[in-house]
Parts: sequence; C-alpha cells; structure tokens
Amino acid sequence: MILLEPHNYIIYTTLTEKASQPAALDVQFVDFDGVRFRLTTPDRKVPTALVLSMNIRCWDELVRYGVNEVLAREYTSLLRAEPENGYNVTLDVNLEQLPASGEERDAFIKSLALLKRNALAAPFEAGFQTQKQLEAGGTGQGELMALHYRDEEVIYVQASSDRVTVIFSTTFREETDRVFGKVFLQEFVDARRLPTIQAAPQVLYTTREPPLEIRHLQGLNDTEDVGYVTFVLFPRHFAKAEVAALTITHIQLFRDYLHYHIKCSKAYMHSRMRHRVSEFQKVLNRAKTEVAVVDRKTASGRTMR
Amino acid sequence: MLTPRRASKEVLLHPLTISRNENERVLIEPSINSIRLSIKIKQADEIERILCHKFTRFMMQRAENFIVLRRKPVKGYDISFLITNNHTDVMLKHKIVDFIIQFMEEVDKEISEMKLSLNARARVVAESYLAAVRASSPVI
Repeated sequence: MILLEPHNYIIYTTLTEKASQPAALDVQFVDFDGVRFRLTTPDRKVPTALVLSMNIRCWDELVRYGVNEVLAREYTSLLRAEPENGYNVTLDVNLEQLPASGEERDAFIKSLALLKRNALAAPFEAGFQTQKQLEAGGTGQGELMALHYRDEEVIYVQASSDRVTVIFSTTFREETDRVFGKVFLQEFVDARRLPTIQAAPQVLYTTREPPLEIRHLQGLNDTEDVGYVTFVLFPRHFAKAEVAALTITHIQLFRDYLHYHIKCSKAYMHSRMRHRVSEFQKVLNRAKTEVAVVDRKTASGRTMR
Repeated sequence: MLTPRRASKEVLLHPLTISRNENERVLIEPSINSIRLSIKIKQADEIERILCHKFTRFMMQRAENFIVLRRKPVKGYDISFLITNNHTDVMLKHKIVDFIIQFMEEVDKEISEMKLSLNARARVVAESYLAAVRASSPVI
C-alpha cells in the first residue's frame, strides 16, 4: 500500500457490518492527527439508531473557514445541531433509512467514513473560492488561513489571484526522521522533472527557514527539526469540482503520507540490519572450534572429573 | 587481564594505522596477550552517517554474542574489536581474521545499499503521490 486511504477504515467496516446486522455498540477510536471518533447506539433497544461523533483539534479554526457549511452540504439532515458532549460534530445515522444494499449503500457509508476529510476540506474550499474571486478582480491576496491540526504542526492555505498556496510545517522528532525526511522531500521536488508528472502541483521545501508567505507570523519554530513544504496549486488543480475534491483529499494527507513512509523505511532498515548482523554472527561462529570432549580415566578405570 | 594497562609499557606493542583516506581507517593496537582493532567506516554524507551509526549501535548492543566485539568504540572510530589470547584458544585464528575482513568488506556495501534503497523508496513514494495528484488534474 503506497497511498493512504482518505476514509476511516473503522467507520467504514463497522457501519458496513452493522448495516446488515444491527447491534448495540459503543466504540471510541482515533484517526491521524489526534482526531477522535465515537460510534454509539444511545438506546440499546434501538440498535438501528447510530450516533457518530468526531473531535478534531482545530475545530475553532475550521468553523471560521466555513466547516459548518461544508458539513451541512455533505451530510444535510444527518448533522445534529448540538454535538455530543466532548465532541465537535455529531451525525445521526439511522440504519433503517440506509439506501438498499449495493453500490449506493457503499457510497453512503464511504461518505460517512470521510467525515474527517470533509471537515478538513473547509479551508481548502474557501481558498479555491477566494482564488476565483481574486482572479476576477485581477490582483490581491486572500487571508492566510492557519490550521493548527497537530501540536506543533500547522497547515497554511492562502489564495492569490493566480494560485492557491498550501504550506505544511512538520516537525521531525528524531534526527533519523529528519535526515530521512530530507531525502523524501528532495525526491518530491525532483520528481516533477519527470514529463509524466509535470502537471502535478509544484513542491518546494525548506528546513528551518519558513517560506516568505508565512515569515511575518509570530512564534514560528525555527529549530533544525522543522520542515516547511509548500504546494503551489494552479487553477487546473481545482477548476472542476471533482478534480478539486481529489486534490484536497491528497493534499491534506500529505503529512501523514510522508511520516508513514519515513517510519516504513526505518522499519525496513531495521529488518535489514537484523538480517545482516545474523549473517555476521554465522561467520564468527564458524571460527569457534568444537571443544573436544574426551573422557579422561585413571589407570584403575575411574573417570576423572 | 583483558585490556593491557596503559601504565606498563612493556606489555604494549607498537600500534598501527592503516588508512585509505582520513575517513576510512583501521587502528590495530597489539599487546602482549591481545589485539584491539578499531574501524572507522566510510561516511560520505548525513544519511550514511545515520545509517552507519544505527548499524554499529545495533551490533554493539549484541556484543556478548559477538565475543570479540567491544561495547564501545575507541574514540575517533566507529567500532572496536578486542581479540584476546583466550579467544584465540577457543577460536580458529584465521577464521577470526576472515570474520573481520568480511565485516569490513560488507559493512560499506550494506550501508550504501541501505542508502540506495532509501532513495529508491523516496522516489517511488514521491512519484506515486504526485502522479495521484496529477491524475486528478489533467492539463488544460
């Protein structure tokens, strides 16, 4: 699996299972970036009435960038006005009203599993819209939208008249991660030279030095562990609605994708080292001589110990 | 008994350095009953440095399995072996030499292979990601 899936696997499998066999449940689980979910049946006697809640760290910021409108559009009547205590969004799912099994039901469950993706899409959609307005006006820059989606890591989205810039700040906890991260990011920059993917968004990265767009911000981390990745999205990446949706899906998973593969490489290196070291061990073991076990006996025939 | 005391000069013989260049060298310190051999492994860049560090650390954590391996390298080197007269009693001398030689040959190879595989993975990862983003955005 090279690419990560945008939907939440647990929501998807649980709902698919419960759609065919409704049963009481109460599960809490997590997704990337510290997003928490809870899937329950509040009334044990009515297993078909499910409640799905999500808690996301940067909810206040998302509200400012219009997450409520996006979710209202995606989930219409499912969306509860007052979310469950401790969560930011709550959806009421009635299993009796699901579409008939088959593709339609599958698509519906998928859309529920995309809850996190849809919430995080708000600033991107806002950015794409601002770009259209600015393009009509000719010049200018949109608001710099910051999304503190993790403790020390931020996504910035800014629209200009001819493009939308997305900047990720990401921290590498360990030196190995930092070095591996650099190798990966350099490949992202170089990969665009290939003719087949020249149409992909332009990628730039810097370590330590924040890019110009966000340099004026206060409190930016400028230690060695931080990396800034900039994606430049041109109108061709979001002109059509379905293309824009795919672009958003991929871009918002970038950080998870990068770190996932850094971890994978480390795991691979480790298993390689394990193998190599055991090979060395074998070579050294060949040097050991068999200690000859000879019974030494006295003249009278008793064994010496 | 193992490490010859620095204080008594009589038991120490002349140390010997064999170097290919300043970044790749071997220090051999013989003494009356043992020999210490330290290797500085080639590290051309940051990645090789990290990989080399990881690899040697991994081995040294298992030093008790590698009877002749030291837990800590001599200062300025990446890995140290100490072969005492006891070791040569229970092990074949020429096979120990074989082991050291094979280690030296393969450690460089292993590190550069790991580096290549990291680069290859990075490339595949970047290309598949960008190809997926591009697939969603045909050139107009």
